[in-house]
Amino acid sequence: MHRTRPALPAAAVVGLLVAAVAGCATDPVPAAGGGTADGPVVVTAGDDTCEVSRTDLTAGISTFAITNTGSDVTEVYVYDGDRVVTEKENIGPGTAYDLTVDLGEGTYQVACKPGMVGDGIRSDLVVAPAAATAADDPAAERAVEEYRAFVQEQADAAVPLVTALADAVRAGDAETARALYAPSRLPWERVEPVAEAFGDLDPRMDAREADLAPGDDFTGWHRLEKALWTGEDLAPLAPVADQLVADVTELAGRVPEAVITPTSVGNGAKALLDEVATGKITGEEEAFSHTDLVDVEGNVDGAERALDVLRPLAAEEDPDLVAELDARFADLHAALEPHRRGEGWVSYDTLDDAQRRDLSRAVDAVSEPLSGLAAAASR
Amino acid sequence: MTANLLIGLREGLEASLVVGLLVAALVRAGRRDALPAVAGGVVLAVLLSAGLGAVLELTSRDMTFRQQELFGGSLSILSVGLVTWMVLWMRRVARDLRADLGARVGSALAVGPLAVGLVALLAVGREGLETALFLWAAARATGSGPAPLAGAAVGLAVAAVLGYLVYRGALRIDLRRFFTWSGAALVVVAGGVLAYGVHDLQEAAVLPGLTTLAFDVSGAVPPSSWYGVLLKGTVGFTPATTWLQAVAWLLYVVPMLLVVLRPGGPPRRARAAGPRAVAPAA
Repeated sequence: MHRTRPALPAAAVVGLLVAAVAGCATDPVPAAGGGTADGPVVVTAGDDTCEVSRTDLTAGISTFAITNTGSDVTEVYVYDGDRVVTEKENIGPGTAYDLTVDLGEGTYQVACKPGMVGDGIRSDLVVAPAAATAADDPAAERAVEEYRAFVQEQADAAVPLVTALADAVRAGDAETARALYAPSRLPWERVEPVAEAFGDLDPRMDAREADLAPGDDFTGWHRLEKALWTGEDLAPLAPVADQLVADVTELAGRVPEAVITPTSVGNGAKALLDEVATGKITGEEEAFSHTDLVDVEGNVDGAERALDVLRPLAAEEDPDLVAELDARFADLHAALEPHRRGEGWVSYDTLDDAQRRDLSRAVDAVSEPLSGLAAAASR
Repeated sequence: MTANLLIGLREGLEASLVVGLLVAALVRAGRRDALPAVAGGVVLAVLLSAGLGAVLELTSRDMTFRQQELFGGSLSILSVGLVTWMVLWMRRVARDLRADLGARVGSALAVGPLAVGLVALLAVGREGLETALFLWAAARATGSGPAPLAGAAVGLAVAAVLGYLVYRGALRIDLRRFFTWSGAALVVVAGGVLAYGVHDLQEAAVLPGLTTLAFDVSGAVPPSSWYGVLLKGTVGFTPATTWLQAVAWLLYVVPMLLVVLRPGGPPRRARAAGPRAVAPAA
């Protein structure tokens, strides 16, 4: 009569709780070529800013790596119109959080809400349909795996080279470090487009001082370059050298998860030649060391390798394009040859404007037809 | 530091209030024998939260947003149900007190240790997972040293101290008033939890009306200010409240307060005296 018995047996409730959570938790399995398999979207939430590293995504599982750099608590939301797709509340100052969400094709908004009020600071996100996988085409799959093996080989080769450079910097041996500098960049320059897909590594490793936004740290190869060729004291640069070793090691470890498709290989080849045209021909890339031609060698190697792995696919589709590319690459090598000195290259500051123009023309001659390679290889 | 402290305070406050009042009620009803069950519920909730938090943090497993909101929302509503049960139990104790001042309160009011353990478990566990994840994130915080974790831990400690003070204060209040007023306080807390649960379910798109606000005073009461935190942690006040939240809150709090504070209510005098003492409990 007066005895009040708990309506719910406790054990049942506890069991239900654990089962609910364990059953709810799922392993996000990124769709092949979807989401942010090519690295998380970095969201830097300040007191009145909301920096989003990338706003073009592909459908699938995406990860937003959020850091609150402000002094107030913040929230990060992903909206589809008015609908909340996902959110993370209570991101305290100085804390970081990874928000994982499966996004379908469409337009979304990402919002930071400093102080947890209002509509927040919003950026549009455009999610493209997931790229068709190469899985249904054995030839395409072979090409992709061959290119991945090349990237892995280059990334693996870069680790000891960068380590040796870092050791010399730490030892304060500027002369040795100067000799090791350009060779340590060569593998990187061969595979740079794939490395750039890991959005957070490229700026740390390969940013040029002129391209930095105010407040960015100047790190990576070019920081060391500046110090080595301007006679700076090397002692304070040990952390920069250590970070570069850590980053190149991370790069090598992440190659297996890089999203590589015939299209991305072809576009990467084009991107390498654009690198040459915009950065190296002008002499801006290696402003202190003038080892630009080593970088050019790496870029051209990487682009040719891309052409080689796509050759079976592209030759079937567009044999004329492949023949033209082979001829243009030969011309480019001929234009570079006079500047070769044994194993290496002349210092780029010894080239006069006319010589630079000749090189530029040879690069453009490859670059222009190369823009058709991705399409030819992926049809 | 301060902002992280306030998060810890807000997450911990409601749980420490409910547990503080629950312990005070049991002590005053002469049911100290049920206290170990409360402690068990709290410890279990902490272990479950920390364990699940660790699982979610250390593996790449992740709950989808909708699952999280459904889980949080359902727990909130379950929690409201249990606190409501507790309030009704306290009301009966208060009524018996009015009927028979000398009676040993609660002797005739069996309250299952399991039930009070559950109340404590849900009060602490409801926000426990969220808090555990927050603490993990604070512990992992890069570049800001131990400050975020320390802030969050201090906030939780402050919440625990406030809960203890409420408990001490509750022991001093006049016995008859205690049950009435703490019952009323719990109704308001539970109303806040209900509104919060409704909002979770709106965010999960289970319930409509996420963007139709009844009022928005975030300008006057910023959610991350200390007074915003206190309001949120105690009565569950959200500066930007949707219509559905407001309606749910009113529909719960108003009738429940009327029930708890109703001064009359025929005391069970007829049965509170002799007969029950000799009649075997059916």
